[in-house]
Amino acid sequence: MATETAIFEIDGVSKSYGGVNALDGVTLRAGVNEYMSLLGPSGSGKTTLLRVIAGFEVPDSGRVYFEGRDITSLPANERGIGFVFQNFALFPHLTVRKNVAFGMMHGNTRVSPSEIDARTQSVIDMVGLTGMEDRGVEQISGGQRQRVALARTLVMQPKLVLLDEPLGALDANLRGRMRNELRAIRERMGVTFLHVTGSETEALAMGDSVVVLDRGRIIQAGTPDGVYSTPASPAVAHFLNRFNMFDGNLSQGVFTGPFGAVAVTHATQAKDDVYAIRYDRVQVQPLGAVTSGPALKATYIASEYLGSSVMNYFETADGKLCEVEHHLSLGAPETYEPRQQYLLTWAADQAIVFGKEGKL
Amino acid sequence: MESRTLKPVLAAYLVAFILFLYGPFFVLGILSFQQGPDGGPQFPIIEWSTYWYRQIFGLTPPSRIAPLPVGEALVRSLVLAFMTMVTSTVLGVMSAQAFRRKFRGSTFVFYLIVLGMMVPGVLTGLGTSLLANNVIGISRHWYTTAFATHVAYTFPFAFLVMLAILNRFDGSVEEASWSLGVNPWTTFRKVTFPLIFPGVLSAMLFAFTLSFDEFPRSLFAAGGTEDQTLPLAIYGTFSVEIHPNIFAFGVLTTLFSFALLSVYGILMALSVRRARKLAMQEDIA
Repeated sequence: MATETAIFEIDGVSKSYGGVNALDGVTLRAGVNEYMSLLGPSGSGKTTLLRVIAGFEVPDSGRVYFEGRDITSLPANERGIGFVFQNFALFPHLTVRKNVAFGMMHGNTRVSPSEIDARTQSVIDMVGLTGMEDRGVEQISGGQRQRVALARTLVMQPKLVLLDEPLGALDANLRGRMRNELRAIRERMGVTFLHVTGSETEALAMGDSVVVLDRGRIIQAGTPDGVYSTPASPAVAHFLNRFNMFDGNLSQGVFTGPFGAVAVTHATQAKDDVYAIRYDRVQVQPLGAVTSGPALKATYIASEYLGSSVMNYFETADGKLCEVEHHLSLGAPETYEPRQQYLLTWAADQAIVFGKEGKL
Repeated sequence: MESRTLKPVLAAYLVAFILFLYGPFFVLGILSFQQGPDGGPQFPIIEWSTYWYRQIFGLTPPSRIAPLPVGEALVRSLVLAFMTMVTSTVLGVMSAQAFRRKFRGSTFVFYLIVLGMMVPGVLTGLGTSLLANNVIGISRHWYTTAFATHVAYTFPFAFLVMLAILNRFDGSVEEASWSLGVNPWTTFRKVTFPLIFPGVLSAMLFAFTLSFDEFPRSLFAAGGTEDQTLPLAIYGTFSVEIHPNIFAFGVLTTLFSFALLSVYGILMALSVRRARKLAMQEDIA
């Protein structure tokens, strides 16, 4: 994407706390009207990155640009970047209406009282809090607080909104609903959202683009589909939590693992030799079956019903847990005998192989 | 188990302790209703009367016992306590704010502040008076030298109270305010201050009451008779002869303190109730 359309840009930002690198040379760019998800385990530096963009933390090195301006040393209140906190951080001593109007009443830009009233009311209506304007923020539910936090930020009409795990404090049901609403609201307002999350499903479902962060570094950036189907490294694959991963040895196009030696057509360059196969790509066969692809002997342990699919758990000879997902749309699940051995098999071309001698 | 024997013992101890705490006050309270002007500061009560209360306010015919010379001293003490309260609380809030971030030498500054309540009052008072008279060469007054010693004494209390309050304060609401384009000073006025107000109230109460009955520092640092604070004036009357009017006055000042505490208690209860409602809501959410 061209530089003119980038709303913000981070260039080689590093930040450390007491010798520990929270951010290690992060470079990132997001376009106008984009929904970007920032995915990473806790401690990966994703919240720190958000706080650097917001201006709550000053980076040790690197620059931050917003709308083409260098804002690295600009105070947070002069940046015009919205921030939605994980704990919502509502003003507990104010009503819903006063919370929403706060930025317009006390902020840098003068807004006439009539405009404050109009904008406050319209954004309250938009997030569906009509009728709650005069409640204290302690008298409303978690989901409603989330909406107040969002309304308070959006009413300032920022070009960029940073969301720090905004759905983390909500229950699963509400999380699903707020997910859709966040997308809808963003599309209506035409702002860029940068959404930090520790949940891979949330990141894949919500972002136009996904950035995966690990130990202060960006380890992959791309579309949700791209990240999901071609993880750039074993760490990404592991974090997506959708792959059985086997350690082994890749040498001259042949991967040797617990399932024997398998010819590999292409591999991704990585520090370790790892063979990954998606949970739902694995088939279960009886022990004596003849298979065309790689096969691995494993003992059936248990299964878990997940609503739309069934997850079967197997244990290999060397004690490794393998998961096989069966989508119920493909028919009724097979039943397996506990403590019986089966053959796990898959098509060789569906595996994702990482290796020191990577080739594409 | 052991609480069966321990409980009555502790209860008896508590009763004894409370008697010890309030006994003197009850005795003074009873004696303040002694008959006047002939009744003395001792039992038995000759006749119950409010003579000494009326005498304080000059409502009795003149007698051989002079009215308490406390009127001006009371005003001085109230003004001084108010000045001290405002100054110490402002300083306490500001310095506790500064301690929210670690800075070079913060431990040293911390002990420097706390020193003000550790050093014996007599030394501070004497030192201040020597400094003023012999070194700088200015005269001592209740509103200059004594005021300075009162601030040095009460500021650490206000500081420690605010430090404890700000320790538990979640700074994310301030960051939320900044991100809405509100500058740090307005953020402090509109967000931080309303939320730490219960603590500020405690700091104010501490500073006011400590200054109001401060004795050793005032003794040296305040000037002559025209600079006497209330504790000094009362002490001055002891050296002549004690009459029940002192007790009546003591009862009145105690009632004043209780009134102050009640206002504080009501304000505190209001903000605690709000905080509790908030906490409850968070449990549900």
